[in-house]
Amino acid sequence: MSRSVWKGPFVDSYVLKKAEKSRESGRNEVIKIWSRRSTILPQFVGLTFGVYNGQKHIPVNVSEDMIGQKFGEYAPTRTYYGHAADKKAKRK
Amino acid sequence: MTDRVCVGAIAGAFGVQGEVRLKSFCADPQAIFDYNLTDETGDRAFTAKLSRPIKNGFAARLSGVGTKEQADDLRGLRLYADRADLPALDDDEYYHTDLIGMEVLDTGGTSLGRVKSVLNHGAGDLLEIHAPGQRTTVLLPFTKEAVPTVDLPTRRIIADPPEGVFSEDGQPK
Repeated sequence: MSRSVWKGPFVDSYVLKKAEKSRESGRNEVIKIWSRRSTILPQFVGLTFGVYNGQKHIPVNVSEDMIGQKFGEYAPTRTYYGHAADKKAKRK
Repeated sequence: MTDRVCVGAIAGAFGVQGEVRLKSFCADPQAIFDYNLTDETGDRAFTAKLSRPIKNGFAARLSGVGTKEQADDLRGLRLYADRADLPALDDDEYYHTDLIGMEVLDTGGTSLGRVKSVLNHGAGDLLEIHAPGQRTTVLLPFTKEAVPTVDLPTRRIIADPPEGVFSEDGQPK
């Protein structure tokens, strides 16, 4: 069963406070968070969060298409490298 | 930069007609059939022809492999393609194979380590940097702000990491 709409999206309060503080300071920093269950809100777009995966903080650059997802979806807890082969990386 | 790139492997024989079970490591798995394949040393060349897709790979015919015994002998063989055969890239696009092993320097010229791998968990590409003498690795977003310069000829990356990624002495936090 999905979450009731009247409750609004769940976000741990400390994540909101940290994001607000970082936005006000305007510094280029990684906001370390442990809350993988928090929903990504529109006011987080453009910020970089370091989402804990149980071992280290994975940098997550929040973009518009991530709104509504959970932070944990972008910080896998298992390691898989695969092969480089002809895979490409794009610098954004 | 490496001359040859591992693009697949032979997992064994498929059936009794001399076909092989081919695993592709390419971004588009079928792209392996577009490359001129060789073994690791480059001494033995293969031409692969797709027979059909199977679970976890492809059934394929390799030139010079006509029997099940010959196909069995190739089990575990890694297949390589020439780096020069890979398609051309757009601006600000890089092959993982080119980035891996590059030295990462900060804007002051201090070495931060070497690129161990390139990861993407859905929120943009990340460079995994292994600092010398450290057991842990650091993840750096592969963005123009964090990585202003990628110099392929000299195999160097200039990084301007955001606060909180590295400690003051350039070591992983």
